[in-house]
Amino acid sequence: MALLLPPGLTPSETAFLCEMEMVTVIPRQRLEGLNLLGGPTPPLNPPYRTPLPLWLALLLKRQRRANILPPPWLSPHSLTAILDLEKSSPSFSPLPTLPAHTTTSPPFLPSATADAPPDALPYHWLELGEMLLEAASDDIAEPDTVRRLMRDLREVRMAKMRAGVGVLEGGQEVNMNGVGGMEVAEGRAFILGVVDGLRKIGASKEMSRREREAEERENGIMGGEEDEEDDMDM
Amino acid sequence: MDIDDILAEVDDSTIPQETRDLQELTRTWVNERSAPELLPWPAELMDRVLERIRQQISLIEDRTSSTDPKSSFTLIILQTELERFKYLTRSLLRARLAKIDAFPLHTLTHAPTRALLSPSELQYATTHTAILHRHFQNAFLGQFPEGLRKMDDSSGGVNMVEGPDLEKAVFVRGRREAGVVIGGEGVGKEFLLGKGEVVVVRWGVVREVVGRGEAELI
Repeated sequence: MALLLPPGLTPSETAFLCEMEMVTVIPRQRLEGLNLLGGPTPPLNPPYRTPLPLWLALLLKRQRRANILPPPWLSPHSLTAILDLEKSSPSFSPLPTLPAHTTTSPPFLPSATADAPPDALPYHWLELGEMLLEAASDDIAEPDTVRRLMRDLREVRMAKMRAGVGVLEGGQEVNMNGVGGMEVAEGRAFILGVVDGLRKIGASKEMSRREREAEERENGIMGGEEDEEDDMDM
Repeated sequence: MDIDDILAEVDDSTIPQETRDLQELTRTWVNERSAPELLPWPAELMDRVLERIRQQISLIEDRTSSTDPKSSFTLIILQTELERFKYLTRSLLRARLAKIDAFPLHTLTHAPTRALLSPSELQYATTHTAILHRHFQNAFLGQFPEGLRKMDDSSGGVNMVEGPDLEKAVFVRGRREAGVVIGGEGVGKEFLLGKGEVVVVRWGVVREVVGRGEAELI
């Protein structure tokens, strides 16, 4: 049966996507390596840190078979620094510096593992932070502070998103560097609606402009020949 | 293609094929969910993924017979992952069906679009349109005057067959190290989209670079 959802990922689909991010776990139990459909997983040997996809890490965490080592940016210190950065600039804070020479993009970048850069928010920061705070708050230092900082960050960034609507123009590209996955999912309907609406309003104007230009061009190039034809007719 | 892209490909080859397929499937899914028109059917990728899903199901069925508590947890992991894969493929197929259903006549009559369908999708679209047409014919079209019965009339300068709006805005992210040039001749101002950069732009402007995999929709 056909899908009834609007085009573009919905917030829950974005969360599904985010669950493919790699995180670092500290296993509490042994588990042999598994041949999963998405590639083999490394064997778990306590207490060695192991990278696993988030969905599997959450499964292990819920069954108390492992602890999740939160990414360095999900700490009060880093979030405070990023919040200051967000407040000081009208654009979104830059994404973490990507490891060179890979064409992979989120959620397949190592932006949520224990060795991720501590000074930048990755693409799935909001979903990932929320999920970790919900399922693994005992693994996070000062979870309440982190929760409060996340909320502040979200508000600052949402205000930027709203302010950015002012620059939306029909037909022009709109720069959204540094935007997060969940922010796209939430703002998509509004932003694309405004862009498409402005385009439709601008389209009629544009069409008359093009027609006028084409006419002028035609007159410019064809002018001489037309005169000749006219002369011959006469 | 420049040196960075070649290096990136060499790097990618150390990743297992299964993982690369998951990444490709995920990207295909996100693109298909976000693009206003139908995208090419990834035949080889889907063959590999569906075959692996089949194997995994039979593996799980075999293992379910054993009652060892340790292997039962492994089984839960395998099943959870299987469900995630099934969701991904199903959502991809359903997103495609939604587009076929939205513009059935355009999909069948517009040759480049028709070529994007998988064999089963083509069969579905053909049969579904035929049934629908027959129903309309019996229900009311048959009672109309001869000249008004067509479903694909294009006389009078207005085509009845509706297609997708290719000028809809989309969110695009660059994938190439050296950036990818967007726009140019006849499609507006030219600009460079760097790796990881995101812009909102008309689909018509980026459909080619997305098709080549140099940029992706988000």
